[in-house]
Amino acid sequence: MIRRQLVEIVKKEMLVMLRDKQTILLLFFMPLALIFFMTLAFKGVYADKIYEKQIPLVIENESQSPKANLLEQKIQSNKMIKIVELPPDMDKDRIFEYGKAQVLVVIPKGFEEGTRPVEIYFDPVFDTGYKVAVRSLMTSLTVEVVMGIDNIEAVVSGLITEKTKRDMIVPSPLQLTVPAYAIFAMFFIAIPMSIGFLKEKNEGTLQRLFTYSVSPSVIALGKIIPYYVINIIQFVLMLFFGAFIAPLIINTPFQMGTHVWHLIPITLVVAAATTGFGVLIATLAKTLEQTSTLAATGAILMGVLGGIMVPHFIMSHTMQKLAMISPIYWAHQSYLDVFLRNAEFSTILPKLAILAIFALACFFIAGRRIKWM
Amino acid sequence: MKALEVSAISFSYHSPVDKSATGGVDYALRSFSMSIEEGKVHALLGPNGAGKTTLMKIITGVLRGYAGEVFVLGNKMPENSALLSLGCAPQAISLYMPLTARENLHFFGVMANLSEEQITQRSVDVLAQTGLTDHADKLISTYSGGMQRRLNLAVALLHSPKLLLLDEPTVGVDPQSRNHIYETMKNLNASGMTILLSTHIMEEAARLCSSVTLLDGGKIVFDGAMSAIDNLEKFFLEKTGRGLRDD
Repeated sequence: MIRRQLVEIVKKEMLVMLRDKQTILLLFFMPLALIFFMTLAFKGVYADKIYEKQIPLVIENESQSPKANLLEQKIQSNKMIKIVELPPDMDKDRIFEYGKAQVLVVIPKGFEEGTRPVEIYFDPVFDTGYKVAVRSLMTSLTVEVVMGIDNIEAVVSGLITEKTKRDMIVPSPLQLTVPAYAIFAMFFIAIPMSIGFLKEKNEGTLQRLFTYSVSPSVIALGKIIPYYVINIIQFVLMLFFGAFIAPLIINTPFQMGTHVWHLIPITLVVAAATTGFGVLIATLAKTLEQTSTLAATGAILMGVLGGIMVPHFIMSHTMQKLAMISPIYWAHQSYLDVFLRNAEFSTILPKLAILAIFALACFFIAGRRIKWM
Repeated sequence: MKALEVSAISFSYHSPVDKSATGGVDYALRSFSMSIEEGKVHALLGPNGAGKTTLMKIITGVLRGYAGEVFVLGNKMPENSALLSLGCAPQAISLYMPLTARENLHFFGVMANLSEEQITQRSVDVLAQTGLTDHADKLISTYSGGMQRRLNLAVALLHSPKLLLLDEPTVGVDPQSRNHIYETMKNLNASGMTILLSTHIMEEAARLCSSVTLLDGGKIVFDGAMSAIDNLEKFFLEKTGRGLRDD
């Protein structure tokens, strides 16, 4: 009898959820759209950006000496640089204001004699990563010209070589956005889940269930299982989209890593954490408005802290420490362990333990707070 | 045999009921007793806050932690045999709006532990009884208020209870649906079902019920035959006063 009641409650919850178009949009289409657009947005940040984007640069060769001309020629022929010719009437002091260039290189008189250095000016909004790259390029080219070296990269390659460890690859933005927004969407399940709990209580159907002697634990389980299953479906769908469809549309590769099976325990634990969060919200909120606000704000805050909106490595040191209080951080890092680091399960296990503790804490607090009537 | 026997019930929402104490606790019901003979239609009347809803929730097993005892057809609440021998149509439309009438009936049929065959057969019966056969496969969010209220009743009847509890069954319905509900109640009673009707509509109680319990402040102010009362509304106001009950 109990098993039949449980199955029926699960079926009912699934039907109620799948007939709600807003829930479907929130749980499936929102994260797919986020993965698509955020991948496009981050493409330049994560990919080998130096070769994908040309930096608009203006050269002012005041020296016109042979070495200055050679340096100008080397800069002009570099693939990373797009030379911008300024119209004669343009005010050079307002060069960045016009938005035509992001870097100004001045080769001053006295460069040949070594009395004045090459000057580099950056657009104030220029990305720090690009600044470092331009500075490094200018250093290399200037050293080549001054020291009379033909190709400094050929010299350096004998001293330093860049390798990847254990088949690791340069991260594709998809490999970061797919787990990030899949987790984010999984945590958003707290909204329909808590609304479902509260509606059942407020609309009297819960009371009606008690008139049939249905056990509270069967009701609770019957309401949690469907959302847990939907969470897993969400992740599988996002992964399918990220691995097979998005690469075709936005020409960005996705590699699963060498330990794909680790995704199963990770997803099972993450789904437990998200459903735990949903149940907790359901017991904290008293009105439908409160459930939406608490669940959405909670998910967004945990997402921001956990490195979903702003990648973790960009964050300040303090924020990187703070991120560790967000379960989304641990979930994201667990997936990145699989997709990027090819980590052993023993590396992922402590992160899963933290997520499991979060899930248990949520269920425990919810269990203490729940007032069925 | 008594269809319902409520014996010395005390209940407070604010603190656990001390069975030995008599004061200091704000009681929703206090030493409340009543009974209904099998086959009767009994009215439960009282102003807002009188304790009617609390009593209904106790009888249906929704509220626990009360002092006293409730028996349904000799079975003590909240035993399964007692719970399953009563049907309840709450005042709120306690149904799943995104489901069809048939899906709602199937769901509550399983909750009442009916077999698949029983659910199918009883669904046909109660849909016909409540005039919803032609709308069985429509989502009930598309139903009118009267149709939803009739389905609320149909669900209560699905498992063929011996005692039916109706809490304001005609609130917000048009005269046609109201009349249909009255006719259904009469037919159910004629077939032997005991009905406890909680209502604020005096005309409804006078028309349908043979006995009445008038409740105020968690206590009985009248319990007897409807035939003993000439004008129910006047009697109600005399017994419970004319002051507004806004608390």
